Amino acid sequence: MDFRWSEEQELLLESLEELLKREAPESLMAELDAKKEFPDKPWQALADHGILGLGIPEEYGGAFTDIMTMTLVCQALGKHALPLGIIYSLGVITIRDILQFGSEEIKKEVLGGMIRGDAPVALGITEPQAGSDAAALKTTAEFDGDEVVFNGQKMYCTLSKQAKYILLMTRDQKSENPYESISMWLLPTETPGITFHLLNKVGWWTVPTYEVFIENVRVPKKNLVGEMNKGWPQLMANFEIERLALCAASVGAAEAAFEDAAAYANRRVQFGKPIGTFQAVQHIIVDMAVKIENMRNYIYKIAWMMDNDMPVRTEHAMCKLYVARASFEVIDSAMQILGGLGYMMDHRVQRLWRDIRLMRIGAGTDEIMYNIAGPQLLKKVR
Amino acid sequence: MGLNILVTVKFAPNAVDIEVKPDGSISLERAEWEISSFDLPAIEAAVRLAEATRGKVIALSVGPARINNSKLKKNVLSRGPDELVLVADDALAEADTAVTARVLALAAAKLAPFDLLLSGEGSADLYFQQVGLQLGERMGIPTLNAIRKIEVYGNHVVVERSLEDEIEVLEVPLPAALSVTTDIEQPRLPTMKEILKAGNKPVYEWSLTDLNLADLPGKVEVLHTMATPRVERKNIRLQGPTEEAVCELAGLLKKEGVL
Repeated sequence: MDFRWSEEQELLLESLEELLKREAPESLMAELDAKKEFPDKPWQALADHGILGLGIPEEYGGAFTDIMTMTLVCQALGKHALPLGIIYSLGVITIRDILQFGSEEIKKEVLGGMIRGDAPVALGITEPQAGSDAAALKTTAEFDGDEVVFNGQKMYCTLSKQAKYILLMTRDQKSENPYESISMWLLPTETPGITFHLLNKVGWWTVPTYEVFIENVRVPKKNLVGEMNKGWPQLMANFEIERLALCAASVGAAEAAFEDAAAYANRRVQFGKPIGTFQAVQHIIVDMAVKIENMRNYIYKIAWMMDNDMPVRTEHAMCKLYVARASFEVIDSAMQILGGLGYMMDHRVQRLWRDIRLMRIGAGTDEIMYNIAGPQLLKKVR
Repeated sequence: MGLNILVTVKFAPNAVDIEVKPDGSISLERAEWEISSFDLPAIEAAVRLAEATRGKVIALSVGPARINNSKLKKNVLSRGPDELVLVADDALAEADTAVTARVLALAAAKLAPFDLLLSGEGSADLYFQQVGLQLGERMGIPTLNAIRKIEVYGNHVVVERSLEDEIEVLEVPLPAALSVTTDIEQPRLPTMKEILKAGNKPVYEWSLTDLNLADLPGKVEVLHTMATPRVERKNIRLQGPTEEAVCELAGLLKKEGVL
């Protein structure tokens, strides 16, 4: 196996790291977090630098990129400015859905905007009664002439107010089979009848999440993305890459926490010597490093498999399960080494600690990852 | 008028990777080579002038054989130059400023005619600040250093030159050789598109023979390169009342010969 990056990947990452130092320094990210503000300027800088066009075909203004490169970009974003990695990752699934299932008109309008710096299209799946059981949706779409009328409520709809569009999932309540009754729509967020209620979260303060109320909201029928009642398989098609992207950002966050902790262990003197010279601290450091190395290998393998058109249904779920936990454990250990300092709101590690906890819940909980991988694993051994 | 611009580029070891060995000698064995940081603004200035005038930029570099490195070449070309010319030979490994300027001048002559010959103000490793000036002198064209702004007016440029207490504004006929300061432009960061495009841009590799250089004149012989001696801290802590501690500190400093 060749673990080296290509020269192009190295140059891209060097360039991206320099860009993040210039446009998204830690001081700015801390300030935005404290103010709970979306990182408009750093996000625009990523757009101006062409990062938001990676993976989008050239005909829509992007640049071809393989999944490995996208993974490395997410990891770098996660390390230097985790919220940017999260926002980027959230866009990955909606970009893919639109690329794969959207009409030409939708692709040009929506993808062009995202490349130019629009916030990613928000994903409107979860409802008060439909979380992990996404098939229990109740939001409806009823045709009225050339229009379709939506009614319902979405929960935990991240970036929905910042985005120009929500990729809205609705269900035909008359059909008995939920898997053949869900449809995907492009809903402009400025359409009359939509109201947003900001939710107060433990972390992800610069990546706002809303409860969205949809009352008699009308859009043209042409806003259907893909086929009527095929929304469920369409949605499932791209969850894997979203999870990989979020995992990569999480690995980056763990790397950042590791560096903070290791630097502190070298610097902090107690009992007359740096705490890093104590075996108890060294053991924590090594355990953190082992987990980071495992996480890196896991995400690179999944990216490589996807680039080689290999199925990753089982593997990606196990990877998401492992990375969501291990990244939190690494950051928690970093906080332990930093002691009181790491628990202070001025320190980066407390922010990473709050932000990364959601990875065990968002984009499929740990428990759902077990549900995906378990039956598949058992099928492999007869 | 589309300006034809040559910009000189030095590849140098990354200072962060320099290792100081126990005997004080400096090792560059593990150092990754990169574009000298002082040349990045020069490249950016060249590319912007070429973009503004629909001209062309050729990057020109001379150095040891290891500069003929695929990643270094893509790195330069991803920053905007249209072509790259390399003279890579281990005979240039310890080249001093005179040798470097001589080889660059022969290469530049081969690339003539050109309108502007831009260089960084110095190099990231040695920072002698001489090559740009020697190069211009060898080419027999107007030569200036410390240039922080260039405006093009047909067959001449108006430049701003940073002096200690003033900014000198000069009209300079073309062709000219200008060494630019780091504040002339902020270097761009290559995008993925530019990085991918860089791999397809022309690179010309010339030998010393191509420049009719059978042998190089005597160069400076480097006897030793030593890091400055490290002095261990004495870790003396002065405690007690401030006045006593200050007196004690003064006594210690006198003893060390500082006061």
